[in-house]
Amino acid sequence: MDPFSGEGELLNITTAFYTHAYPAVLDFDTSALSPENKKTAQLLKYRAQIALGQASAVLSSLKSSQDAASRSIAALAQQASGDPSSALETATSLSESDPEDPIVQICTGTVLAAAGEYAQAIDLLNKHQGSLEAVALLVQIHLTQNRTDLAVKEVAAAKRWAQDSLLINLAEAWTNIREGGSEKYQSAFYVYEELASTPGTTSPTALVGQAVAELHLSRTEEAEAALQQAMESENVDVQAIANSVVLASVMGKKGDVVQGLLKQLQEKDGHHALLKDLAEKSQSFDTAAAKYSAKVAA
Amino acid sequence: MQFESKSSRAKGLAFHPKRPWILVSLHSSTIQLWDYRMGTLIDRFEEHDGPVRGIDFHKTQPLFVSGGDDYKIKVWSYQTRRCLFTLNGHLDYVRTVFFHHELPWILSASDDQTIRIWNWQNRSLICTMTGHNHYAMCAQFHPKEDLIVSASLDQSVRVWDISGLRKKHSAPTSLSFEDQMARANQQQADMFGNTDAVVKFVLEGHDRGVNWVAFHPTLPLIVSAGDDRLVKLWRMSETKAWEVDTCRGHFQNVSACLFHPHQDLILSVGEDKTIRVWDLNKRTSVQSFKRENDRFWVIAAHPEINLFAAGHDNGVMVFKLERERPAFSVYQNQLFYVTKDKHVRSYDFGKNVESPSLLSLRKFGSNWVPPRTLSYNPAERSILVTSPTDNGTYELIALPRDATGATDPTDLKRGSGNAAVFVARNRFAVFTASTQLVEIKDLSNSTTKSFKAPSGTTDITYGGPGCLLLITPTNVVLYDIQQKKQLAELAVTGVKYVSWSNDGLYAALLSKHNVTIVNKSLEQVSTLHETIRIKSATWDDSGVLLYSTLNHIKYSLLNGDNGIVRTLDQTVYLIKVKGRNVYCLDRAAKPKVLSVDPTEYRFKLALVKRNYDEMLQIIKTSSLVGQSIISYLQKKGYPEIALQFVQDPQTRFELAIECGNLEVATEMAKELDRPKIWTRLGSEALIHGNHQTVEMVYQKLRNFDKLSFLYLCTGDEEKLTRMSKIAEHRGDFVSRFQNALYLGDVESRIQMFKEIDLYPLAYLTAKTHGLTEECASILELCGLTEDQISMPEPGDGLTKPNVIVPTYKANWPVKEASHSSFEKALLGEVGAADEDAGPDLLNEDIPVATDGNGLAAEDDADVVEGWDMGDDLGIDTTGNDSDFVNVDNPDAPAEAAGPGSSEADLWARNSPLAADHVAAGSFESAMQLLNRQIGAVQFEPLKPRFLEIYQASKTYLPANTGLPPIVNYVRRTIDETDSRKLLPCIPKSLDTLATVDLQEGYAAMRTNKLESGVVTFRNILHSLLVNVVSSEAQVDEAKALIAKSMEYTLAMSIELERRQLAAAGSDSEEGLKRQLELSAYFTMPKLDVSHRQLALMAAMKLAFSQKQFSSALSFANRVLANGGASKLVEQAKKVKQQAERSGSSDKIDIEYDPFADFDVCAASYTPIYTGAQSVSCPFDGSKYHSQYKGQVCRICQVCEVGAAASGLRLWVKGL
Repeated sequence: MDPFSGEGELLNITTAFYTHAYPAVLDFDTSALSPENKKTAQLLKYRAQIALGQASAVLSSLKSSQDAASRSIAALAQQASGDPSSALETATSLSESDPEDPIVQICTGTVLAAAGEYAQAIDLLNKHQGSLEAVALLVQIHLTQNRTDLAVKEVAAAKRWAQDSLLINLAEAWTNIREGGSEKYQSAFYVYEELASTPGTTSPTALVGQAVAELHLSRTEEAEAALQQAMESENVDVQAIANSVVLASVMGKKGDVVQGLLKQLQEKDGHHALLKDLAEKSQSFDTAAAKYSAKVAA
Repeated sequence: MQFESKSSRAKGLAFHPKRPWILVSLHSSTIQLWDYRMGTLIDRFEEHDGPVRGIDFHKTQPLFVSGGDDYKIKVWSYQTRRCLFTLNGHLDYVRTVFFHHELPWILSASDDQTIRIWNWQNRSLICTMTGHNHYAMCAQFHPKEDLIVSASLDQSVRVWDISGLRKKHSAPTSLSFEDQMARANQQQADMFGNTDAVVKFVLEGHDRGVNWVAFHPTLPLIVSAGDDRLVKLWRMSETKAWEVDTCRGHFQNVSACLFHPHQDLILSVGEDKTIRVWDLNKRTSVQSFKRENDRFWVIAAHPEINLFAAGHDNGVMVFKLERERPAFSVYQNQLFYVTKDKHVRSYDFGKNVESPSLLSLRKFGSNWVPPRTLSYNPAERSILVTSPTDNGTYELIALPRDATGATDPTDLKRGSGNAAVFVARNRFAVFTASTQLVEIKDLSNSTTKSFKAPSGTTDITYGGPGCLLLITPTNVVLYDIQQKKQLAELAVTGVKYVSWSNDGLYAALLSKHNVTIVNKSLEQVSTLHETIRIKSATWDDSGVLLYSTLNHIKYSLLNGDNGIVRTLDQTVYLIKVKGRNVYCLDRAAKPKVLSVDPTEYRFKLALVKRNYDEMLQIIKTSSLVGQSIISYLQKKGYPEIALQFVQDPQTRFELAIECGNLEVATEMAKELDRPKIWTRLGSEALIHGNHQTVEMVYQKLRNFDKLSFLYLCTGDEEKLTRMSKIAEHRGDFVSRFQNALYLGDVESRIQMFKEIDLYPLAYLTAKTHGLTEECASILELCGLTEDQISMPEPGDGLTKPNVIVPTYKANWPVKEASHSSFEKALLGEVGAADEDAGPDLLNEDIPVATDGNGLAAEDDADVVEGWDMGDDLGIDTTGNDSDFVNVDNPDAPAEAAGPGSSEADLWARNSPLAADHVAAGSFESAMQLLNRQIGAVQFEPLKPRFLEIYQASKTYLPANTGLPPIVNYVRRTIDETDSRKLLPCIPKSLDTLATVDLQEGYAAMRTNKLESGVVTFRNILHSLLVNVVSSEAQVDEAKALIAKSMEYTLAMSIELERRQLAAAGSDSEEGLKRQLELSAYFTMPKLDVSHRQLALMAAMKLAFSQKQFSSALSFANRVLANGGASKLVEQAKKVKQQAERSGSSDKIDIEYDPFADFDVCAASYTPIYTGAQSVSCPFDGSKYHSQYKGQVCRICQVCEVGAAASGLRLWVKGL
């Protein structure tokens, strides 16, 4: 039985983690858990800490741990703290030494995938023994590689044994948004809407997901409302800003509005894919545009 | 004795009418609720303060009432387990409380000398009966009539009429005035005359206080018990009541008494520690029971069944008054039994007919004691009955040939003994407990021999031919009568009954909670334990024991497997099983037939006996499924049979693995498709040596190394070679090396070393294998010579392992484990199955084994098996879900998870429109398209538009922690799922531009913010330049909007130019002339009328102020021609008058002919008269003098003026 699924005592913390409600993960009271679950919960807390940008704290608390799971967490932390090369090194060695450890699979799989080593990551994650997180990672990697077919297949296979799991529902929402067609967008929307409207799980991610689904459904005003709600939260989610940029563009908002949002994004996460992408495109625009000129200068 | 509890003194008792519960109220203030069948304490209720004396269950509601020495009456719910409310009013101990059988009333008797009736629904006191002048000890409702009987220490028993009370409380709700008056008067009578409850009779006869009194359930009789140690019986008529008789016997105070609910008996208990049973008709003592130490305080009867309870100093005992088990004996199809009225009857199982009475045993034993056992002798057609009366008697009676109705026996022999049983045609055995002697007697009742039973023997029963079973409390002894010898002994405690199987091979020894099955030599076969009391047992013809407990019929196989056959409403005594019918006698000794479903035990029996045909039959004809039978089969080691019942793939897989049925396991693994499952299948198949399955599993799991090794082991060189190719595709050098080693492929190894720059190793390998040429070339590559390197002594080259047996061609011959005879029976009809199985096996194996061209054959086989997937890999569009490693076609991209093309690529592929290419990020192709369509050459101004579109194309969906968000593509075709028709969302639709943006431009014009107006209109142009529309009509709309935007941009640019001149202060005539010209040209572009008026007014005013009266006049005329706002018109009229007055001539001759039609060159802002040479912008259509050809359009700032272009495409049919 996968410890992350079902009605176990870890349900709340895993739900929080999957919906990126990291502070809730950290606040989770683990004192009443069984020793095994306590360990799992601790690992989740480390990962939440990393996701919150406290990678160095995690690194220092894991300094003395030498087991594979801790080292794989450390690899995650290294990557998050801007040391992708040593992260990759650790990950590669772990994926060879302990490929069967589920935590190793997930953490190093994440490191590898984040570093673009998709084939390696897929090889490692395919060794999973019924781990939903591994499935979710595989789905994302397949989607990243534009292998929607494989992602869909992965989800369908996982649904056979983990129908009701939140993570699988999310993964299905991912593939649905990728696949498209109003029905699939709509069903993805329902997943996020349900998440967003469930008290206790109002994570920005749920709102962002809801907004994204609505954006794909061309329901721009609703999407705007959802994003606005996400933007109002104390610690604005990066993806909320990024998608606000997208939405503002879709709605044909004035350039200065868009620029303002881009600036906000730049401050929050200078390495965001959208910014990188835009910089790249701007460059390629200039290169391409340089090939043309009027026959006669004015 | 059924049940006994230990507690403090029990003062009150009440049976639940339906459930096996008894309430006991204790002197210690506790109320206990017991399950007397299970002997468990269900609940305790402790709220009374001091002793609780009265207690009663409600007949239908989940309620009970209690009354105690705290003067309180409490009503409780045993469901919610709490006291619902308390009735206060009594001024002294409450002695008894009872519910009325239908009205919501409670009757209480108290030491305050009153008897009260309470309504428990509205919780009020409705009647107080006074009259007794000492403690009222007991008061009970009559079971049918409106009467109450009460007993008091004033030595009287009183009968009260409460019909007035009933009338009053069941009066209709709407009362007439008269009724109300009557009611009021009645109330008055209440106060003084007590008309609600009136004393009907006062019964005097006891000369001490009376403790208890009770009505007879049906007859007009009353029984009372008093401190004068007497039980008195009273009779009443409508008008009077009198004492009938007295039961004398108690030698201490009699505490309580009652009538037997069904029989003519009286029961009483007293402080002399006895329970006594009296004959109602003769008033003689029938039976008595004495406890050593405990005084009895109360007795209660179960309303339905033969159960009584008595409370004493140390608890409660629940007991039966008489033996309920009827004496019976079965011979072939006949049952002989003794009825409740002591008649012997027979019952024919074949005809299901009860005979009339054969014989009356009225005179046998005591009147109230039924015979204990009956033994039948078919040869003599006689019966032997025993009775416990007079310390045991028996009678040998010949049955009449024909049942002629109840006759007293004519020919009988009798004697004393505790047990008597026929042991042979003409012999019977009699056991006397007091002497421990067993006597064997002939039919004339004379002893032929005798022997001493083992000490402690309590009973004897039939023990097989010529044998007896002697039963002691701890042992059963098998005794041979002929040899006078003990044959066997078995330690079984508390055996009460023995039931022999129909074939006489087995016997079931029944104890209170155990069934022990023994064979005829008294060797234990199995034993089982029941928590509920075991009542009886009988055997099925096939050797299954059916036994009854208090509430179930159960079965037990010889091996002790048991289960429930059906539940029972009431206790029965099993007699015989025939098919689906179970014959039994109920507690009233009436024969009954119960139907049962024997499927389960028959199936289990067939399983034990491996009778597969029967199992098949059962499976086919009954709905025998369910988890219990499956887990039973699994537990008992029949997974292959369980497999036949299971649908759930997971369970099927487990079972298939367990019984080694790889075929089914593989099938299920495919269905389940989980790594864990495949792994298990693989290891299981490996154990079986079924390497073909192993191969498939490894392929599925992408275990490349294991797969290679498997091929090496099985000698499949072909596939090993392919594995090597796959390794190459995967870029996995270790795997390549390994495969090359397996293959003995030296060249490939060297090649690989070279590829990864391990030249020394490559050289060493080449050298070892004596490949001198290769050596030389490596050295050459490295720029070294042979003497520059030092090398270890090369060993022998690795030789390739040889295939000794071409194992890969077929699996090892595997023991045919999966086909049990059961499956055969199941798969085909019996007999046909064997024939079918033969050819099947041949078909599977022989082609592979005999075909010389093994590979071809195998490939075919693979195709048939459905996991050859040469066509699917990489493309994988067919939805074929086979995702095995493709060994047979290694040249297909082995990395199935290689990246695919993104949706953005699709967009670019799907659309010829520039905007779609922009959204797809394919700026270069978009620029090419625009260049071709509209001669776009200067893209810089379009950059914001390009980026705007691009920005709107992708969303960022947060997914897994630690990974960047998933990028998805925003479509305008949201309903589309066909990948060839997907198109991106393009912001700023035509509609938006034509409404929002255009209005913004108009506003800028109106408010004279021309700078921003130019920007707005140019933005509209740019937005339309890179855009899409959804219909042909929209294309025209778009073109109109482009033209309009061009005109406004031009107009505004002209005016801005003029303002610039004015601001520069060029007051020279030249400058002024140009200003005037420009202001005139400003009126030329095709603006909306209201906006043109603004231009005209501006031009008019300027001209007028510069005394260009001719021009001013013409502008004024145009303003007036356009009409519109009166203010403008007024001004124009004035200017017109003034100009006309001033001579209508221009001071400066400007290049403006108000009567000619011309376009304004967008570059030079000079007129282009009709017919003159001009060029235009291919996008917005702005006109230029031909010298501007090749320059960038001033309006859109993007396109080349006069460029050859195909025209802007915003829409494609069918997209």
